[in-house]
Amino acid sequence: MKRIVLSLLSTLSAVVLLFGYRTSTSGPDLAATTGSSTTQTLVRSGGTTTTGDVAQTRWGPVQVQISTDADGTITDVQVVQYPDGNHEDQEINAYALPVLVDATLAAQSADIDMVSGATITSEGYVQSLQSALDQAPA
Amino acid sequence: MTTVATARRVEHVMGMPISLALRGRHTDDAAARDAWAQAVETLRDVDRVFSTYRPDSVVSRLGRGELDLADCPPEVAEVLALGEAARVQSHGAFDVRRGGVLDPSGVVKGWAVERAAVALRRLSETDFSLGAGGDLVCHVAGPDSPPWRVGIEDPHDPTRVVAVVPVRGGAVATSGLAHRGGHVVDARTGAVPASVASVTVVHDDLTWADLDATAAFALDHEAAAWLTARGRVGLVVRADGRRELVGPAATPHD
Repeated sequence: MKRIVLSLLSTLSAVVLLFGYRTSTSGPDLAATTGSSTTQTLVRSGGTTTTGDVAQTRWGPVQVQISTDADGTITDVQVVQYPDGNHEDQEINAYALPVLVDATLAAQSADIDMVSGATITSEGYVQSLQSALDQAPA
Repeated sequence: MTTVATARRVEHVMGMPISLALRGRHTDDAAARDAWAQAVETLRDVDRVFSTYRPDSVVSRLGRGELDLADCPPEVAEVLALGEAARVQSHGAFDVRRGGVLDPSGVVKGWAVERAAVALRRLSETDFSLGAGGDLVCHVAGPDSPPWRVGIEDPHDPTRVVAVVPVRGGAVATSGLAHRGGHVVDARTGAVPASVASVTVVHDDLTWADLDATAAFALDHEAAAWLTARGRVGLVVRADGRRELVGPAATPHD
């Protein structure tokens, strides 16, 4: 049962994030943010089933349905409508050939965000470039 | 290019530093922290199953014959299948079994980080770059987001980079001897590569970037030719310091 609840919660958070809402684990709040055309249906247990608006995302339309019990606890999340596009497609080959840099150039001058190197271990990390980047102020 | 604020986090899992860089909407809020916690937990779970340093791990017990594959979590079969595919495609230079010892570490790392990145992909309007001991998964949320600039470490001087690769969506893996002598050998001969210092592969997913970088490195002087034949993109740094780009438009270089 615990596993089911966890899986439900992760589905919910995925759907919420896909919508681009601020994180919310409360059903009624989510319903409130889905807009005026949100429909609510009373269900047997005294809870409600709420169907959100169709949200247009980068990958196509998404619509979710959330069921809550009388306490407002989410009991079910259904995705009514999925995007039909596969967003992974956009990422295929979204990289270029490596660009060779002047061998005498110090790493600090190369304007890099991350480092790819041969098996940087925890022992070697302290002296690594990646360590320096990780400590850079945001 | 405008400067974009980047939030960074580090944890050590599986004996490796795990580095995360986030840009965009969720960099330091509850959603970002949850996604990071999930990513780290995924790696810890993988370590519990696959670590060859833990005698009680599933893989250690499988290797000693105390467990059947059927008794293992399904991801063990998945990893071994990937290892077998890599063995065949590298003509045996890559092998998860050497001298009777089962060591799928060469498969697990990239595969595990790709799994860990799933939690980060759920962060809306957020770019991330997740690195694990020098291998990375990168993602940008929108068409206008700048690419992540990934420096490829100089295998002869870890304070320098030999190349930079811009990545908007994809993975970068580097295999070599730096930091850990004799880590990769040709499984057919046990020989440590002598003519190649490091191999970097840029690919759609880290599972195959990592497998191909490791296999190419084990293939030693055949590395660049093998990667080219597979249509891969990357960089081979030779032991003498020469750099060889691999890819569709690559031309011979210094």
